[in-house]
Amino acid sequence: MSYFFTIFSPTDTPLFTHEFGTSRSGGDGIARFTASERSLAPFILHSSLDIVEELQFGPSSTSGSAPMYLKHIDKYANNFVSCWITGANVRFLLLTRPRDEALGLAGGGGAGARGSLAGGRVTGSGLYDPRSPATEEAVKNFFVDVYEAWLKTVMNPFFHAGNGDVVKSPVFRQRVAAAAKKYL
Amino acid sequence: MSTTFPIRQSSLPSHPPPRPQSLPPQSSHYNRPAPAGTSTAMSSTPSSGPGLRYPSNKKTIYDRNLNRSKNAELSRAAFAYLFIEMIAYAQRGARDVGDLEQRLNNQGYPIGVRLLDLLLSRSSNPLASIRPTRILPLLQFIAQTLYRHLFGRPADALERSGTDSAQYMLFDNEPMVNTYISLPREMSSLNCAAFVAGIIEGVCDGAGFPTEGVSAHSVGEQEEGKDGKGAPLWPGKTVFLIKFKKEVLEREEILARGGG
Repeated sequence: MSYFFTIFSPTDTPLFTHEFGTSRSGGDGIARFTASERSLAPFILHSSLDIVEELQFGPSSTSGSAPMYLKHIDKYANNFVSCWITGANVRFLLLTRPRDEALGLAGGGGAGARGSLAGGRVTGSGLYDPRSPATEEAVKNFFVDVYEAWLKTVMNPFFHAGNGDVVKSPVFRQRVAAAAKKYL
Repeated sequence: MSTTFPIRQSSLPSHPPPRPQSLPPQSSHYNRPAPAGTSTAMSSTPSSGPGLRYPSNKKTIYDRNLNRSKNAELSRAAFAYLFIEMIAYAQRGARDVGDLEQRLNNQGYPIGVRLLDLLLSRSSNPLASIRPTRILPLLQFIAQTLYRHLFGRPADALERSGTDSAQYMLFDNEPMVNTYISLPREMSSLNCAAFVAGIIEGVCDGAGFPTEGVSAHSVGEQEEGKDGKGAPLWPGKTVFLIKFKKEVLEREEILARGGG
């Protein structure tokens, strides 16, 4: 699986982008996007921001508060988008591109399998399901780790996320990469 | 002769190596290589990337604990000294009292945006990470969590304005920031709690509840009449007027109808 992770400021400016592959089940942690998929990823994430805005004030759990983790929010072609929104409206978006086999596309007879996946019903036989508890938990753990590193970034008085300050720290990138390696 | 500056030769590349990710080009000025004078000091940390300087104890901000609240209390004298300097800084070039208050407000604003996330992450269960999505939980967060963090006690009262439904009032009987401030007569309308108002505004704005502005007003003297005679009970009583923008109230209404 390949992942494309972006942090968006409250004004929809991308502040940080990281691309990586899975380290689970023998993965080497390298993203395997085709050139067209890679160039499409920012567009998919930006279009998902609309859905984040629809959901972020949505049905609240208890007493007017909502969780930061919005789980799986969007799907475009074979790309799945998960979101974490911080208290200050900074959005973490993670785009997941499962391997073709995990989508049931490897055999070439795609249409039927793809349709069932869109409905999110078929979970057996190793097909990728963004709503399975294991996937949600792994993505959440990843986001929690990134959120902690992000908090330390924004506590820097010279960093203004609202002004579109880009995260340049290599240490932050290391932290994100470590979280990705650990959980995804 | 050439052996005199071996470190300098190697530690000053003509151009830094390309960064691995596609960051916008405006970031370059932060990544500039260290000046020549510090090259010998930099050579002791050869593993550091271009331009990144580690503090002497090798601990970046990412290695520090966020929840270190022990010994986090600041002495009042230190705060008072710093705050006086901040007011003096704001006063430089301020046209009038309103302008001065606005400058103090601007100083507090970024603090509010940051404290919002920090305090949310410090809530009882960090993994449950929740954020306020309605006005009331947000205001309670300000009056309880934020106030406790800043001043060690909750705010004294929280009311909704009777005349303007967009306006909320947060009362502080004795603002800590005003403890050591006595106002000259020509500036009697100044309230330096405008700094705290800025923090509150930052929290509201950051959480997605934009305000028309948050302002601090002294109301201690008005209570004099109510109490009858004598000095008011709380001479420094301050009210923070929080006026939310129209769209926030509209959203609140829609959410309430939707059965949130």
